[in-house]
Amino acid sequence: MTNFVLLNQADHSDIKVITDRAAKYGDNLKSAMTFPFEFRNIQGCYPIFFQKDSDSGSFFPLALFGFTKDENLFLSESGWDATYIPLMIRRQPFLIGFQEDATSPEGKKPVVSIDMDSPRISKEEGEALFMEHGGTTEFLQEATANLELIHQAHEHGKKFMQALLDYELLESITLDVQLDDGSQNQLLGYYTINEDKVQKLGAEALGKLNEQGFLQPIFMVIASHNRIRTLVDLKNASLKQ
Amino acid sequence: MTSQAIQSIVIVGGGTAGWLTAGVLASRFKSLAENNGAVGIDVTLVESPDVQTIGVGEGTWPSMRTTLQSMGINETDFMRECNVSLKQGSRFDNWVTGESDYYYHPFSLPRGYGEFNLAPYWQLARDKISFADAVSIQSKLCDRGLAPKTIATPEFAFNANYGYHLDAAKFAAFLQQHCVEKLGVKHVLDHVTAVTAKDNGDIEAVQTRDSGAIGGDLFVDCTGFAALLIGDHYAVPFNTVQSVLFNDSALAVQVPYKDEQDPIASHTLSTAQSAGWVWSIGLPTRRGVGHVYSSAYIDDENAERELRNYLTPIVGRPEAEQLAVRKINMNPGYREHFWHRNCVAVGLSAGFVEPLEASALVLVEYSAKMIAQQLPANRAVMDLVAKRFNDKFAYHWNQIIDFLKLHYVLNQREDNGYWAANRNPDSVPDSLKEMLELWQFQSPWLQEAPRFDELFSSASFQFVLYGMGFVTQENPAGLRAEDETLAIANRLFSDNAKKTEQLLGALPTNRELVSKVAEHGFQKI
Repeated sequence: MTNFVLLNQADHSDIKVITDRAAKYGDNLKSAMTFPFEFRNIQGCYPIFFQKDSDSGSFFPLALFGFTKDENLFLSESGWDATYIPLMIRRQPFLIGFQEDATSPEGKKPVVSIDMDSPRISKEEGEALFMEHGGTTEFLQEATANLELIHQAHEHGKKFMQALLDYELLESITLDVQLDDGSQNQLLGYYTINEDKVQKLGAEALGKLNEQGFLQPIFMVIASHNRIRTLVDLKNASLKQ
Repeated sequence: MTSQAIQSIVIVGGGTAGWLTAGVLASRFKSLAENNGAVGIDVTLVESPDVQTIGVGEGTWPSMRTTLQSMGINETDFMRECNVSLKQGSRFDNWVTGESDYYYHPFSLPRGYGEFNLAPYWQLARDKISFADAVSIQSKLCDRGLAPKTIATPEFAFNANYGYHLDAAKFAAFLQQHCVEKLGVKHVLDHVTAVTAKDNGDIEAVQTRDSGAIGGDLFVDCTGFAALLIGDHYAVPFNTVQSVLFNDSALAVQVPYKDEQDPIASHTLSTAQSAGWVWSIGLPTRRGVGHVYSSAYIDDENAERELRNYLTPIVGRPEAEQLAVRKINMNPGYREHFWHRNCVAVGLSAGFVEPLEASALVLVEYSAKMIAQQLPANRAVMDLVAKRFNDKFAYHWNQIIDFLKLHYVLNQREDNGYWAANRNPDSVPDSLKEMLELWQFQSPWLQEAPRFDELFSSASFQFVLYGMGFVTQENPAGLRAEDETLAIANRLFSDNAKKTEQLLGALPTNRELVSKVAEHGFQKI
């Protein structure tokens, strides 16, 4: 369950946030949403796929960490073993929200919320949010910057998805994975970019995609297919333990 | 005889029949021209600004999904613009005893239908579960007003088979825009004043009030009951079937919801009355309701009373008394032939039966598809294509009439002579009598389909027969009671129950889905 409240110094001056990575802090996730701007980093570690949001049917990109529910193959005793952790994981336990604001040109201003039910919230250990004599800590400043980045990345990501749909580059895939112990794992409900269709795009289409900054993330998704092997290897290694 | 190539088609009349035909023809010719370099064929539609379309046909079959898709229509646009909800079949209330009995005729086939006939095995458990509940997932979905898919299901794909409920007037306007803007159909808004013939008897042109003569190689009569070409001009006889299907009148009314979030039924509801039946079709913004009846057994005034009584529990007495009712006269039957010389009738000009199984639009789709696929290359071979067309559609009409009559012959109602007269063997076509005799000893299955493009599959006959309580005493030699086949049957029944449970937990209501489509739309994949 979550319990998001507006972050403010009066109520939250003694709150700390634990930044360790472990299942007990909610990191035992099979996947997390990701954004095109971080695809380059993501594909260095994880396969990128697309999935439909069950509420709206619209597509979003995700980084895959495991094959079954609650399975994060990158999580170990020592933490999260990867060179890059997706922004949507790092944002926890914060969320960006909006408040009406007549003085802003958009009529609303971004505000930071915090999930008070998150297991990361502590009074004893972790990173402080506010300084003793007022002002925000560097940790909170970075968290806030990340939230703003997510907000922008979200809009850019939606346009990216629309471009993939307009050029009909997406296709559904079923991944059949055979493990060393002979067991079969099947991943259903995922979509990816059809490489052949990308290669058949004309110069004009390629130019347009490039102008919008979509071409690089398209190739990052294709490159990320190699990371399926990484997941399989991690899974096989975990079976041997 | 001339062997002039067929290069232009003129459709006269612009209701749903006219625009569907235009769309099916033009999209086919367009794709042939683009993919095979075929010579384009001009499609022109002449529509009178003076003539009102009848606009009653508000239910489609699942075939409409393929038809729309083949025309390059986006399902989300179609649903948003034509006031569309999704339909999974029909429910028939009070058709057997009139005492709160009901059964479903869903769109999905019984489980495992292509390989296995469950009907004989259901007979063993017929007292415990209805036929539809035992073999289909859809009766339970309909009971709960659930949609046949979710917002994450791609457009035109489904979790449970479906067609549409739609606003016919909006549908015609939507198709018109698509045909003119995307498919290059020429639209002439003008009143046809005369038909001019060539020496050989072919139609040369239709004369219009302001646009002069419009000539063509093939003319499609979509002028509805007026039947301007096939009836007025060619006087092709009309075979009435009123001795089989008695209903000759209808009263139609549009019924608002009390609340805009009221549930939308995902089936057409047909409720038997004393001398006819009432249809109820749930669209997103209103219900379309109407009473179809036989004037020989009830007068207009009492028919209207029964309709208003039907509406009272739905909208309350004051509203039920005030709603405006529109009378439609009808003569069930069909033309002796449909394609005559260089003129082919599609829609109400070809024939009409009561909308008990929503057969009007599907016949338009089938007709348009056959014209598109078998369009004669030239005038010389047109008569051969016409003969095939006439044979096929005479067969379809006969089957429709048999199937509709089946809904009536098995009734046990004693409240009005209408129902007794419907049971009278003299009113039953021989073809149906023979089938009923046979079905006493073997259930209809795949062997009932002599043609590959049957309109009603044997599964439809099963749903009506067993929904109405018909008993088949299976020939013991035919019923394979070995353990193995019984095990297959039990597995299929249990699969069906499991699948039903799974979908009951996963599907949104029809109302929720319609709202999601308005907000998000379907994805193409």
